Amino acid sequence: MEEKMSEENMEEVRVLEAQIERLQAEVEELQCQQQNNNKDITLQLGGKMQDAVSYLCGQTQGGLEEKVMSRLKEEVEELEEDLKRQTQMNGICLNSCTTKILQSNGSKRVQKLCVSGQCSELVFQVEFQLTEVKEGQQSERTISDLNVVMDVSDLQNFSSFLSGVEERSDLLLFFRTLRTFSERCDDRCRTFEHFQEKYPSVVSFPGDSRSEVMALNHPELPGCVLFVHWSVEVSCEGEVTPKVGLLTKIPEEALQLSPSQSLGGAAEAFQSLLRILGPEAAVESMIRTVSLSQES
Amino acid sequence: MEGASTKGVLSHLSLLEVQARSRKSRPQQPSRVKELKAKVEALRIQRDQLRAEIETHKNLQKLRASMDKQCSQEGEEEEEKMDDDSENSQLLRLMARHTQLKDLLNAHHIIGGYNVIRTSQGKGVCASLATAYEGVYLETYNVEIVLKPRLKISRHNVPPFIPLNSLAEQSNMQADIKTFLDALSKHLNAFAGRKQQLKLVKELHKSVEVLESNVLCSILVMLLTLPGEKSTVLCTLDYTDHTRLLPTSVHFECKDKALPDAPEWKKNCSLLMETPVHKALMSMKTNGTVV
Repeated sequence: MEEKMSEENMEEVRVLEAQIERLQAEVEELQCQQQNNNKDITLQLGGKMQDAVSYLCGQTQGGLEEKVMSRLKEEVEELEEDLKRQTQMNGICLNSCTTKILQSNGSKRVQKLCVSGQCSELVFQVEFQLTEVKEGQQSERTISDLNVVMDVSDLQNFSSFLSGVEERSDLLLFFRTLRTFSERCDDRCRTFEHFQEKYPSVVSFPGDSRSEVMALNHPELPGCVLFVHWSVEVSCEGEVTPKVGLLTKIPEEALQLSPSQSLGGAAEAFQSLLRILGPEAAVESMIRTVSLSQES
Repeated sequence: MEGASTKGVLSHLSLLEVQARSRKSRPQQPSRVKELKAKVEALRIQRDQLRAEIETHKNLQKLRASMDKQCSQEGEEEEEKMDDDSENSQLLRLMARHTQLKDLLNAHHIIGGYNVIRTSQGKGVCASLATAYEGVYLETYNVEIVLKPRLKISRHNVPPFIPLNSLAEQSNMQADIKTFLDALSKHLNAFAGRKQQLKLVKELHKSVEVLESNVLCSILVMLLTLPGEKSTVLCTLDYTDHTRLLPTSVHFECKDKALPDAPEWKKNCSLLMETPVHKALMSMKTNGTVV
């Protein structure tokens, strides 16, 4: 009787031991999968996020859902505030940032980042590799393989700056310059729009107010147009310089009709005005000259 | 008579023996089984827990990927349908947004953002200014500004040769902190870049002797060796515009007074004016004018 029982027990023991072996193998595989997941930076969760994961996996007791939810909500709201602050101070609006870990061992980590966003009206997408090497307390960070995508079809100045910046992987210079360039373009646009509002009969744009050119049409001489060319140049060092110039388009007949001084020498006169008054005042004075000539 | 009692005692003894033996082995087996059953249960719980966590991570990743797509395309993307119950999907959505925000804030930091934070109950702000040159991150400087009664720089670790206060005045810090930070960042990055160029000259060009430089790295005097006769050229680079990485003037001095006017040295002069010094020296070695 006991022998039979001990035989059954031995059978059960064997079955259980086999189950244990299988389960241990499964657990090992899952732990390995989890370790791989943990390499994904995005999902390195801690604090309230880890609480949330535990809740979703049924680890926490029931009734705690509101607590987990509200604590996480609070933290998310703080992060949203922080993002608003950074966006305002840095003058750059980021829409998305994805990271991929290419290499990660004890002291070296290489990530590939893809960041997209806009700076005022200028939309960009930037991809680069970030390498971090730890040496004791210090950590050295380097950017490489920078690739910038922007619609620069009407930004010839900017595109040569861009190729230089990509070559040298100068990520920070790119963003500093982008901001300044964008601000100068916005200045131009604001000034152009201001003049269009103030002198609607004289001012027009071949494209739109974001273009580089503003046309001043002489009210009496329809073929005569003064073009204010306001370009924003960017050197390869990242120096942003607005350049304003005047181009005249005057048909032969008009030159005979009106005194040459008022239109022919306009370009040179404009450059001296620029030096004395600055761009906005010089342009305004040009506009007044053109529109006031009605009365003369 | 004796035979029967002995037989009785012997059989009783052997019965006791058997009982004792079976008592030894039988209690072991049930408790062993119990032990094993408990272990199986524990492993099952561990496995299910891991499966649940991995599944949650997977769902989180999927949700985050679709949120990223929505944000970068600004399109009318179909929101990822969750087949979970709505409360859990709300939590998951919140979690995905959490990871997105963390990544965006990290991106702001990496691209050289000012990391502005409020300090001491909103009485001030603290900003970090990152510097980098040709992809290498260099020093980060910090500035703390008190807001009341007027904006004033209270603490900083900016080196003394950077004109902090005059920059604050010129850029009208009172009206707009951002303009001040932009101007300061320009100065700091230019300084960091010149300093890094000097470091690279010393590392990459052992044949060039650096005779003079200053803390601001706004002047650089080097001794270049000419090929052949081993005579030297004294080269002075002046960086009078402290917001720039390139010199404003280049000057050569040599025993041979005609050398600076020679065409290849005029070319070297342009090289040094237009390209960073460590790269210009590389080109000059390649074109054979220096060793």
